[in-house]
Amino acid sequence: MEKALIEVRNLITHYGDFRVLDGVSFDVRPGEIFMIIGGSGCGKSTLLKHMCGLLKPTSGEIRFNGRNIADLDEEALSVMQHAIGIAFQSSGLFNSMTVGENIAMPMREFGEVDPELIDHLVRFKLSLVGLSNAQYQMPGELSGGMRKRAGLARALALDPELVYFDEPSAGLDPIMAAGLDELILKMKGLLKTTFIIVTHELESIRLVADRILMLDMGRVVFCGTLDEAAACEIPRLRQFFDRQPDEFISQRNLD
Amino acid sequence: MSDLHLKGPEELNQDTGAHLHKEVKRVWRKGAERLVLDLAATRCMDSPGGAWLLKISDFLRKHHARLECQGDRGDVSDFLRLLAPALTSSPPLPRKRTGIFENLGGVLIAAATELRQFMELSVDAIYWTLIAPFEGKGFRFNAFVDEVHEMGVRAIKIVCLMNFLMGLIIAMLSAKQVESFGLQIYVANLIVIGFARELASVVTAIVVSARTGAAIAAELATMTVQEEIDALRGMGLNVSQYLITPKLLALIVSLPCLAVLGLISGVLGGGVWGVLVLGFRPSVWYTQTMEAAYMDDLTQGMLKTLFFAVAIVMIGCHNGLRVTGGSRGVGLMTTRAVVMDIFSLICIDIVFAVVFYYILG
Repeated sequence: MEKALIEVRNLITHYGDFRVLDGVSFDVRPGEIFMIIGGSGCGKSTLLKHMCGLLKPTSGEIRFNGRNIADLDEEALSVMQHAIGIAFQSSGLFNSMTVGENIAMPMREFGEVDPELIDHLVRFKLSLVGLSNAQYQMPGELSGGMRKRAGLARALALDPELVYFDEPSAGLDPIMAAGLDELILKMKGLLKTTFIIVTHELESIRLVADRILMLDMGRVVFCGTLDEAAACEIPRLRQFFDRQPDEFISQRNLD
Repeated sequence: MSDLHLKGPEELNQDTGAHLHKEVKRVWRKGAERLVLDLAATRCMDSPGGAWLLKISDFLRKHHARLECQGDRGDVSDFLRLLAPALTSSPPLPRKRTGIFENLGGVLIAAATELRQFMELSVDAIYWTLIAPFEGKGFRFNAFVDEVHEMGVRAIKIVCLMNFLMGLIIAMLSAKQVESFGLQIYVANLIVIGFARELASVVTAIVVSARTGAAIAAELATMTVQEEIDALRGMGLNVSQYLITPKLLALIVSLPCLAVLGLISGVLGGGVWGVLVLGFRPSVWYTQTMEAAYMDDLTQGMLKTLFFAVAIVMIGCHNGLRVTGGSRGVGLMTTRAVVMDIFSLICIDIVFAVVFYYILG
């Protein structure tokens, strides 16, 4: 069996006294699109922050290429983070820079790129996401979908092994969302990038995901392929895929 | 024949791309219209390889020729499909710099527009502060009390400390100057007159503008960026009534009070130097201070603070509400608000100095 790119073992984390993640374990394999799903407040974003090394767990391990992230010192963590691209829900582009400068920034700061080539590399990345003409535009001049694509181009700037994408389709029209899904599939095929995507969009999950992880109240409810999910009778998973409302939504969240 | 032919490498990457670029430059000859790149043998390409391809395409375009890739397959074909728009069209140009007259016109139009917006906001705020409450339209008393606490009560410590230290410094410096004449007792007069007429109000207003003016601008700018202002307007609420009026009234009430406390602290600061360093008895210094204190000086000084308060709040609100461009815009507008605040305080101070000490004597 192929070695896992990310291994999470028995991850437990707290915000104050509140246990946000409770014994979460799973693997992410190289080159796959791994989607993390679950209701609001179930710990998806917290899990993502742990996998980027932004938060330290109370206990448990997160191994990236075999190395435990929690054991890394600041320098080693920074090197590891260069191998990860993050595309944020609201794009996270720096408003004071042009789109091109946003993408060139990690190349200049961390990349071992020929400075003469940076301009063309920026155009290359922008072309991949269909924004070859937006190099000199400011982020504020772009539409929501364009900003997300520019954010993805910046996440891909250093050709990372792994890209985290937080809510790619949130706030986009169906056409734009479908375009972004297609783009993720293309990037996976062409750049052999592994994607870990946090989403709620059922259509995207069905179209893009290789495997899914479902969290509920900090615990793993399901981890497997779409076919396995379709055959699975776990009530919370069925409820999610069948878009059934939760009768006791407020009580659940207060527990 | 105006075509050139080259074969692509097995793997198009940083090194082979750079080599191919050199090769294109080497075989290039004037009059060629097309470079045919045979990519039949190319199995894969990466990002730097793609960037070199764009660089080659730009080089050819500059020489009125074009790049044509042939024989590509698999992933390379997919890459080229995504790159097609960039390979076939000129790169986007950086924004053109505007000329001096365009810039001048732009500055004038921007200044006029800003002045109009400031006047509109000020008129609106004055209406909601001074007239609307008498017409029975809502005044947010609780918000006003909160603002008085935030802008006034919580600023007491820093205002008193700053004025105390200013009093100390002025006493220290002026005592040295008059030492040879034996007039050190008149430092008490200097301190009380200086603080009553000028320093207490100006130092307090500068501290408040840095503290409260910046906070108002940052708060409103963040609200604007996060569409909270649009949400207020969408609910049919007036921004001036809801946000500006409580702040404006709160600072109009708080700033004179703070200035009085500033005056007391400044005089105390001077007194500490007079008693502890110059060696005057406290009762002597006190009597001298009280003899020099006139109500007229205090009134003139405190009257200014009302205008300072209006300027600080209106400039903070104006800059906060016209923010554009996210986090950087918030920072820029906050800085701008503080700079404009301090400049306007000095301008108001000059007007008062001219009116009270030259025109009215």
